[in-house]
Amino acid sequence: MPHRKIVDHLFRHQYGKMVAILSRIFGLAHLKLVEDAIQDTFIKATLQWRNGIPENPEAWLTQAAKNRVVDLLRQINAEQERYQKVSHGSIVLEISEFFLDHEVEDSQLRMILVVGHPALSREEQIAFALKTISGFSMKEIAAALLLKEETIKKRLIRARKKIKDQQIKLAYPLPHEIEDRMVVVLQVIYLIFNEGFHSTKSGSLISKELCGEALRLCKLLLVKERFRSGSLYALFALCCFHSSRMETKINTNNEIVDLQYQDRSQWYKPLIVLGNYAIQKSFEYGERSVYHYEAAIAAEHLKADRFESTDWRRILELYQHLYELQPNDNILLSMASVHLQAGQLDQAKLLLDRIMTSRLGARIYLLYGSYAEYYFRTDKTQQALTEINQAIALCSNDLEKAYLKKKREQMVGKV
Amino acid sequence: MKEFMMIFIGGADYEEIGLSPEQLQNRMAKWFAWDDKLKQQGILRGGEALMPRVKRVSGPDRIESDGPFVESKELIGGYITVTADSFEEVVKIAQDFPDYDLDGSVEIREIMKLDQYE
Repeated sequence: MPHRKIVDHLFRHQYGKMVAILSRIFGLAHLKLVEDAIQDTFIKATLQWRNGIPENPEAWLTQAAKNRVVDLLRQINAEQERYQKVSHGSIVLEISEFFLDHEVEDSQLRMILVVGHPALSREEQIAFALKTISGFSMKEIAAALLLKEETIKKRLIRARKKIKDQQIKLAYPLPHEIEDRMVVVLQVIYLIFNEGFHSTKSGSLISKELCGEALRLCKLLLVKERFRSGSLYALFALCCFHSSRMETKINTNNEIVDLQYQDRSQWYKPLIVLGNYAIQKSFEYGERSVYHYEAAIAAEHLKADRFESTDWRRILELYQHLYELQPNDNILLSMASVHLQAGQLDQAKLLLDRIMTSRLGARIYLLYGSYAEYYFRTDKTQQALTEINQAIALCSNDLEKAYLKKKREQMVGKV
Repeated sequence: MKEFMMIFIGGADYEEIGLSPEQLQNRMAKWFAWDDKLKQQGILRGGEALMPRVKRVSGPDRIESDGPFVESKELIGGYITVTADSFEEVVKIAQDFPDYDLDGSVEIREIMKLDQYE
């Protein structure tokens, strides 16, 4: 029996690798050409491999894509000289070196640092990372970010244009620039993770894959000593901790399950262990980042074997640190909800009253939801209903909306 | 035992519909699974995927022309030959063809054998 199993996500992961290697060979200015060539290669493989998988699929793909780029370059006759340079003479030897494992990794890291380039806007950085490094299609990115495919396309075109116009190279930034780039890179990974974890399309495959991708990017960076930092380890820990709860936050009816009612025995232990290791490493570095505190908060929740044994005091303490580092109203909101959970209703109300509604953006419905909870718990059911109606009206996420409506039913039952 | 050819028509232009690497891989896995199943049953005789480029030679003057002559949804993308007892059996086999959702279809033809006319 022929055994024709291909590694999961081989194509998608290979895509990122191949873009990195080929961009290094042909220049980042030819990114579009490179990406098209790789797409062509995958299509060719899907047809051709039906008659037998090559012995080394990765090498087959890269070689085929490389040939295709050369073909395309020849066709458009662009940069004739460069083409000659890459196809003849001593440079050939140099090129084959790009395909060595450590060089592939190196090319990918360079590409990740391009994501942190200050010329790109945050939106462009995220789209670029997901497409060019992670190998998602525009359609998949659009679905995951709840945007139109056209919007993603525009962002990618803009990003590529900036790279070309400003002659951004696939070279390592100067040592003093690396730190700044890494700050941005971590933010992008953090956003990709959150997009997946809090996705309005929760339970959908793509949102899980975004979380997986964030983890993979962290791991890729952690391999290299020079990129390791307290914040990177902490971010990795944070992603591990949250991911361990992934399967329990949505039930089989595709409804959101409160932390209180999640089946704690289903939390995925290996990720928690990995997270614990990472958080320990993160404290070996002097810095304390927001990722440290967020990871520590997530860890506290995981530590409690029952909801009732949650150490709310410790969690509030950690939120306080987080707020000092990054004062914003979202953290106040989280703190208020911790007080609510812990039954400290007055303290919750004090915090809620401090929040400026205009600063919450799309999360505004959570504030109304919290007020609703407060009034409900203090037996002011009418007020609670007014608030929850507001929350429902302002919530754009179907799953959360369903959750709020369920809450309203409980309240109505009490009137 | 008779032999049949399943001819795959249309639905093969993965490029036009913009499948992602992940989707392409999943689709390929389906082809593999189908192929392996047929091999396991011992009924697979052969088969190939075809490139989309078409060249045609026709008429007494052997006029050469370049395709495409039909729309991509009518283009033959490949074939598989299998052994089976009847058309009905091949129809069952064809249920696993992976590209129906891409508007592809399978045409089933019996392969002519000389002994059928003896």
